[in-house]
Amino acid sequence: MDWAGWAVFGLVSTAALTAVMTSAQLAGLTRLDLPLVLGTLVTEDPDRARIAGFVIHLGVGQLFALGYTTLFSLLGQATWWLGGLLGLLHAAVALLVLLPLLPGLHPRMASHRAGPSSRAVLEPPGLLALNYGIQTPTVAVVAHLVYGTVLGLLLQGG
Amino acid sequence: MESTSAPIGDYGLLGDTRTATLVSSDGSLDWFCVPRFDGEPIFGRLVGGAAAGRFRIGPSTPSPVASRRYRDHSATLETTWETPEGHLTLTEGMVADISGSLLPATLLVRRLSAHGRTCEAVVEFDPRLGEAHRHPRVSRRSDLVVCEWGSLAMSLRSDVPTVIEPGTPTVILVAPGQPVTFVVAVAHREPLIDVEPTEAWSLLLQDEQRWRVWSEGVAEGLRFREAVVRSLITLRLLTYSPSGAPVAAPTTSLPEHPGGVRNWDYRLAWPRDASIGIAAFLNVGMVDEARGFLWWLLHASRLDRPRLPVLLTLDGRRSPPERSLRDWPGYASSTPVRVGNGAANQHQLDGYGWVVDAAWVLVRAGHPLYAETWRAVRGFTDLVARRWSDPDAGIWEVRAGDVHHVHSKLMAWLALDRALCIAETHGLSDRQRRRWQATRAALGDEVRDRGFDLSAGTYTRSYGSQDLDAALLVLPLIGLDPPDSARVRGTIDAIRRDLTAGGPLLYRYPPGRDGLPGTEGAFLPCSFWLVQALARAGQEADAVEVFEQLLDRATPLGLYGEEMDPTTGEHLGNYPQALTAAALVQAALALSPPNTSTAGSVRESSPIATPSDVPDVVG
Repeated sequence: MDWAGWAVFGLVSTAALTAVMTSAQLAGLTRLDLPLVLGTLVTEDPDRARIAGFVIHLGVGQLFALGYTTLFSLLGQATWWLGGLLGLLHAAVALLVLLPLLPGLHPRMASHRAGPSSRAVLEPPGLLALNYGIQTPTVAVVAHLVYGTVLGLLLQGG
Repeated sequence: MESTSAPIGDYGLLGDTRTATLVSSDGSLDWFCVPRFDGEPIFGRLVGGAAAGRFRIGPSTPSPVASRRYRDHSATLETTWETPEGHLTLTEGMVADISGSLLPATLLVRRLSAHGRTCEAVVEFDPRLGEAHRHPRVSRRSDLVVCEWGSLAMSLRSDVPTVIEPGTPTVILVAPGQPVTFVVAVAHREPLIDVEPTEAWSLLLQDEQRWRVWSEGVAEGLRFREAVVRSLITLRLLTYSPSGAPVAAPTTSLPEHPGGVRNWDYRLAWPRDASIGIAAFLNVGMVDEARGFLWWLLHASRLDRPRLPVLLTLDGRRSPPERSLRDWPGYASSTPVRVGNGAANQHQLDGYGWVVDAAWVLVRAGHPLYAETWRAVRGFTDLVARRWSDPDAGIWEVRAGDVHHVHSKLMAWLALDRALCIAETHGLSDRQRRRWQATRAALGDEVRDRGFDLSAGTYTRSYGSQDLDAALLVLPLIGLDPPDSARVRGTIDAIRRDLTAGGPLLYRYPPGRDGLPGTEGAFLPCSFWLVQALARAGQEADAVEVFEQLLDRATPLGLYGEEMDPTTGEHLGNYPQALTAAALVQAALALSPPNTSTAGSVRESSPIATPSDVPDVVG
C-alpha cells in the first residue's frame, strides 16, 4: 500500500472531482451541489453548509481513495485506465445507490413521501439524481471518471 | 356540449400534498393523477370522458345533497345525501403525513355511514390509466382487489363482504351504526402496502387533527378568517411537499370558456405563484411555509440563473413539450386537452418583480437573506436592469407575440426598487447601487410617459395601446405613483368601468384580445387585486363590499377556479386555483386591522410590500 500516495493523491483527486462538479453547476448543467448537500447534514445555513460540506467531502473523498488504493494494491498495478474503470463503477454506485438512499439519512432532505409536517427543504435527488437536472448523471459520471483517472495516474507514477 | 362531468364548482378537493383528487357532489372521484400531481390520471373522467374511469361511492338512486362541507379546519370532506331510506354520509380524505410509518405514499380513505334506516349505496370502481385509458390487470389477494399497470399498482380494500369488481357498479347496504370504509392505496415502483380499513380511518382522523393544529397558526383576529383558513389549506394541499413546489392547479385543460380552446396544463409550478405564496403565508404567521417557497424558488431556478424560468415541473425540470391528448373529449367538449405547457419558453419580465418583492417581504418581516439568496436576487435584478427595455409575453402569457406590457414594466421597476430596499441592510457595491438607481429612474420615466394614456387618464395594457389590463391593479401597491394620485385612481376607475364583467367580476383584458378564437370568463384573482387596490387607495368600504361579493361567489366548499362565467356564475379554468386562493388571502389581509399579526411575523397587507416601516433587520 502506498500510504503517502493515498494521503496526497486522494486529496488531489477529490479536489479535481469537486472542480468538475462545481464548474458544471456554475455552467448551469446540474443543481447537484455536493458541498451543500453534505454540509446541510450539520447546519441549515447554506453559506456555512458549503464550507462544512467541502471539508466533509474531502474526508469522504479520502475514504473512497483508500478503497481505490487498496484495490490497486490487490491488483498489483495502478494505471489511469484502471482508475477510470473504478471511477465509472463509483459513479454508478453513487447515482444508483448512495444518492437515492440519502433522503433516509439526511435530516434536511425531503423524500417522495414528505407531507405537510415535513420541514425538510432539500429536494430528494431521485433516481440517477435526475431531480437535480437532466444532465446530472452525465456530470457525475465525468466527475468520477476524472477522480479515478487522476488517482490511477498519480499512483501509477508514484 | 354535454359533459359527463359535473359543473367545475361542484367538485371538492382532496389531497395529501403529493397529489390530489377532485370529487363531485354525487361522490364521483373524476380526477386523480398518480403518483403525484403531474402523473398520469388513473381516474380521468373530468376531461377524458366516461372511458377515462372514475371511482364513485354514493346513493344508488339520484338523491339530493342535504349538506356538504369540509370538517372544521381540515381537508376531510363530508357529504350527506337524503336518500329514500334515510341520510347517507360519505366522509373522505387522503392521509398526508406518512413519513416515518410503513404506509403507502398515496392513501385515500372513504367511509359511508347511514343515519335513520339502512341505506342502499353504489360503488363504481373503474380505474383506467393514462392517455389510452388502459385497463388494469386485476387480481384478488384475500380481501384486496389489486389493479396493476406494470410498475404502478392500486389496491382497494373495504370492510364490506361484497366483492367489488373493477368496472362494474356494485350495490351495497349500509346499516346505521355500521359504517363501511373503503381504502385505496397506490404504489409506484415499490411494493403495495395494505392498510386495514379501521386503521386507515384512524389515520385519516389523526391527519384531520394535524390540519386543525396547523390552522391554529393563522392569526385569530384576522378579518374573514374562515375564508382565509380554507384558502391557506387549499394552497398547502397544492404544494408538492417533496420539493416545496406550488402547483398552480391539480388539473389540466379545464376550459376558460366551455367549448373553447383556452385549455392549459396547470399541473406545474410558476415562480410567480411561489412569490405570492411567500407573502400569503408569511403575513398570516406561517414562516416555515414562506421559507419553503423561497427555498424552492432558489433551488429550482439554479440551472437558469440569472434568468428566471416561467414555469417548472414539480422537481424543477423544464416542462415537457406541450401536446394534445388524442381522442380526449375534454370538459364540456373543450378541446384540445393538453399536457405540458408551451408558456415555459416565454420571456416574462414581471416574474422578476414578484420574486424580488417576495425576498423583500421576508427581509421586511425581520428575516435576513442568506448570502446565496441575496446573490440570486442581485442576479435577477441585474438581468432586469439589462432587459427591461425588451418586449415580453407578460403575466397573461399571451401567445400572439411579445409587446411592451405596461404591467411588466411596472414589475421591473418594482424589482429594482425592492432590491434597492434590501440593499439597505445587505451588502451592495456603490457602482451596482448607482446603476440600479439610474435604471429605476429611467424605467419610471418611460412607463409614465409611454404607458399612460393622457386623454383617458389611465395606464394602458401596453405602450401605444388603448386597451386596459386588470393586472395594473398592482399600481397602488408598488409605489411608482402615490396610491391616492390621479393616475392611480384614474387607472382603478377605468379598469372597474371598462373591464367589468358585472358585480365584483373583472376581465383581465378585453375578452378575446389574445390572438385565440373565442372568449373567456372573468379572471378571479384580478377581483381580489381590486380589493387590495381599493383598500390601499383609501376606499375601504368599497373594498369590503367587493370582497364580500367575491366570498359569495365561492363554491359551497369555499374554493375558486381561475375564472368565472359572468352570466351563470360557473367556475371556469383549472380548479381549484392556487393563485386565486393566494389573492384571496392577500385581499383579506389588506382589509384586516393593521395590528393583526401573529407571533413572530410582521403583517404586510399586500403581495407587494411597500418599503415603509422597515423593521430592524440583521444585515
